[in-house]
Amino acid sequence: MAQAATGRSHRVRHSPELDLLPVMNLFCVIIPFLLLSASFLEITIIEMSPTEGISTGAGTTSLAQSEEQQLQPKIILTNEEMFLGTVFGTRSISRVFMEDRGGDMVNSYDFDELSDALADFRGELDEAFPTIPVHKITILTVDDVRYDNIVLTIDVCADHGFDQPGLQVAAYSVLQRQIIEGAGGVSP
Amino acid sequence: MSAPSKRHVPLTLGYKKNKASIRGKDKKVTLNLTSMIDMFTILVVFLLKSYSAEGQIVTLSDALTLPESRSEQKIELNLEIIVTNDAIIVDGEPIVFVDESVLSEGNPIPILVERLSDHLEYTRQMRGTIDEAEMKVNIQGDVATRAILLQRVMSSCAQAGYGTQNLTVIKVEGGEEQ
Repeated sequence: MAQAATGRSHRVRHSPELDLLPVMNLFCVIIPFLLLSASFLEITIIEMSPTEGISTGAGTTSLAQSEEQQLQPKIILTNEEMFLGTVFGTRSISRVFMEDRGGDMVNSYDFDELSDALADFRGELDEAFPTIPVHKITILTVDDVRYDNIVLTIDVCADHGFDQPGLQVAAYSVLQRQIIEGAGGVSP
Repeated sequence: MSAPSKRHVPLTLGYKKNKASIRGKDKKVTLNLTSMIDMFTILVVFLLKSYSAEGQIVTLSDALTLPESRSEQKIELNLEIIVTNDAIIVDGEPIVFVDESVLSEGNPIPILVERLSDHLEYTRQMRGTIDEAEMKVNIQGDVATRAILLQRVMSSCAQAGYGTQNLTVIKVEGGEEQ
């Protein structure tokens, strides 16, 4: 037998062991960095239709316009009221009220009323013009309407299939003219 | 004094060594880091994934608060325009400082149109050609931005050749409710 004369075995058993401390150090640097720089907000976009400049005249519809353009509704936001202008006529949706947003009191509109009005309009549109798909909508505002009100309006419109919003800004006098001229409406 | 048992290894301070350490039988106390490494690996993978998914495409400016929307359209890497109530910033460079004169008109802003046209021309020269995807901009606007300013920026983009303008928003849940 190949055993030492002393009777003792001199073989030393080494269990293989990884030194994990450098890895730990690396992680301790990476994790705070990633936690600080990571953003847990999901960013999305709203694609806008091409915009025109300030509307100078009333909402006249020329014969050259496509059927969809003629049928596309307009949401008019002023500092006092919100209107929905459609091929069937223009009507008031809600009056402006003050709302607390992030500690500031700002103008707001009744978007639930707008949603109901758009749902009604979508129903009428599908009934009267079932073959014409209408996706475009124009948000027509006075110059000092807040951006978040515009985005909230676009959201409500998208809920009812008007998912190609465009933005127009006009002077208050021009908007008033549009509201008065659109009040008559067109019979489907 | 009896020799310490195997279970209880006292600290060796100074030059005092017990018999066990003299005989080379002292125990080396080591931490078992494997489970912690496992946890850290999972954490790093998760953070890297969320970082690469969104973080590098959009750099949100501290100077603005983006509006919230239920839109679900994913963001793409485009030229970024930041609109605050103080300035209009294109690709990190302030181009227009907002004052009453900027807010009193409604036409495209000439200096912004020029800057955007230059950027489009530079892209065309660098790539030899330009396609639809290049002609898009992402507009980051503060919630309190006035409509007139937003409209001027958008019409400037359109005039410079950027036909598609995307409004960058923060997604909120609730889009499926209606």
